Amino acid sequence: MLIKMNNVFKTYVLGEVKVPALHAISLNLEDNEYVAIMGPSGSGKSTLMNIMGCLDTPTTGTYYLGRKDVSSLNDNQLSDIRNTKIGFVFQTFNLLPRSSALRNVELPLIYSGMPSLKRKQLAMDVLERVGLNDRMMHKSNELSGGERQRVAIARALVNKPSLILADEPTGNLDSKTGEEIIEIMQRLHEHGNTIILVTHEEYIAKQTKRIIRLRDGVIESDEKKI
Amino acid sequence: MIILENILMALQSLKTNPLRSVLTLTGIAVGIGAVLYVVILGNITQQRINDRLESLGSNVLLIRPGYSHMRGVRTAQNVINLKWDEAKEIKTTSDVIIAAVPRYTGQGVAEFKDQNWSTRVTGTTPEYETVNNDHPIEGRFFSEDELNRRARVCLLGATVHEKLFGNHSPIGESIIINSKRFTVIGLLGAKGESWHNPDDVVFVPLTTAQERLYGVDYLSSILAQMRSADDYDESLFDIETILRRNHRLRSDDENDFRVRRQDLFLSAVQETNQEIANFIIIIALVSLIVGGIGIANVMLVTVTERTREIGLRRAIGAKKFHILTQFLVEAVILGIIGGILGTVGCMGFNYFFTGNGLSIPLNWVGYSFIICSGIGSIAGLYPAFQAANKNVIDALRYE
Ligand SMILES: Nc1ncnc2c1ncn2[C@@H]1O[C@H](COP(=O)(O)OP(=O)(O)O)[C@@H](O)[C@H]1O
Ligand SMILES: [Mg+2]
Repeated sequence: MLIKMNNVFKTYVLGEVKVPALHAISLNLEDNEYVAIMGPSGSGKSTLMNIMGCLDTPTTGTYYLGRKDVSSLNDNQLSDIRNTKIGFVFQTFNLLPRSSALRNVELPLIYSGMPSLKRKQLAMDVLERVGLNDRMMHKSNELSGGERQRVAIARALVNKPSLILADEPTGNLDSKTGEEIIEIMQRLHEHGNTIILVTHEEYIAKQTKRIIRLRDGVIESDEKKI
Repeated sequence: MIILENILMALQSLKTNPLRSVLTLTGIAVGIGAVLYVVILGNITQQRINDRLESLGSNVLLIRPGYSHMRGVRTAQNVINLKWDEAKEIKTTSDVIIAAVPRYTGQGVAEFKDQNWSTRVTGTTPEYETVNNDHPIEGRFFSEDELNRRARVCLLGATVHEKLFGNHSPIGESIIINSKRFTVIGLLGAKGESWHNPDDVVFVPLTTAQERLYGVDYLSSILAQMRSADDYDESLFDIETILRRNHRLRSDDENDFRVRRQDLFLSAVQETNQEIANFIIIIALVSLIVGGIGIANVMLVTVTERTREIGLRRAIGAKKFHILTQFLVEAVILGIIGGILGTVGCMGFNYFFTGNGLSIPLNWVGYSFIICSGIGSIAGLYPAFQAANKNVIDALRYE
């Protein structure tokens, strides 16, 4: 079991007002699953992704990632988990604009303290896997949207994570480029990666093996394809 | 390892906004430049003073005629009661005074062929050479024998030599001083500018000056050399005892002579320079503080501008410590670049005004490096903490 969530609540406090974002979420996930999370805007998809990615912790409830109880970890330990177990792909790419593609992909490995040479080699391998062999030295602000998102995927892959989290990875891309990105996701899944992606597109969700629908912070449905 | 990465990251981020970075650094640069300039100034002054002390000979007291007093009222300058015998007596009687060089200085006109030059003529004894550490660069000083014979020999100061002979060697030539013929036996080295030109002088034996040139039996001054600078009180006591007895002063009369330490004048020069230095140091401190605030300000702006970057770095595994050091290193590098600009600027300034190049002592380059890094790290501390403590999710969503 990779993920085991039990009765997770997340409530944001904005001054006097309490904004409930997640409500009694219980959820299990095995290794090598390929999951789409769907739901209207504001339904809590990003909040759930953030908790699964150890960017945030539940207000109440338990979350086990592998054998680790995430709610008991301190800030440094959470950073370590994000660094070694999680790969994020964001809607807005979040690359360092003036750094090269290679440098962007190296970044997680810098924080894990990998020596420069080994790090570069690994980063180049991953960039090759997402089809950017000839773009490695380009600054990320010189790349197209699709290329940027591929750099971001390479960055998410480079630390060989147990879990890849993609929050609306195609949201800022035209549909053709979006499809290319989803193809890469598909391939990664076939190579054994565990992937959770948030999407609004039914046709994208259909390509995954499991669709979780959220509404107002509650799991509305959870269908697995056999 | 991570520090090296931090330095690279910092340099890269400075590159992206070079103008802002450079403007920020003016304060630090001016501050460090001013500090270094004070150091250069201090060194130059100290060097001049040391040179001067060296050429004066160490531990030398200058005894000069003072004023006579009648029942406590100062009457006239008494210029004629300092005698050669007294110089000899001071030297032989006092345990702490190891030499006493008598001098008589008058005005003179020196002539050679069609050149003539109005100068000072100083009569003294051969001891002058060692006590004043003033050795001829050519020829020799006069001897005891020449002193006893009232010989018409002389040594030329550098200025007189140049005026009369140009570049030619004067040794063995005969010149006219106040209508009397002298043989040049020595040439003294140039001592450079001072409050009066020490090179505009001709030296002759004391006897020659007193008897042949000026017809006097008194002295203008006596240079007394102490065993060491610590013997000042005892030396003063001995000199006063001898001179007061010889001049038949009563116990309530004031001294009719003056004793001055040669280094007092120099310490006055030093004090003036110290005041200038203090002033510049204040400017420097203000500039450094302003510079520090500038760095803090630009770092705060940077941290805000790069909120998303901070969120991203945290999301992919950077710990608070990594973010903290990243921005701290950036601030320190800003400080150091400011210091380098200041150092170069100061060297340029110094070159422009004095024409000599690298005169900043290396240890001060080191100190200014430390000062700059210190200011950078203090200025960067608060912004860096802000960066490190940002909420990861909020930072990632920041627009
Ligand atoms: N940092 C936050 N502070 C306050 N409220 C938040 C925060 N993040 C999300 N929310 C609220 O929580 C709810 C779920 O948000 P989110 O998970 O971003 O939804 P989705 O990604 O499905 O659009 C929304 O009502 C949103 O306004
Ligand atoms: Mg969202």
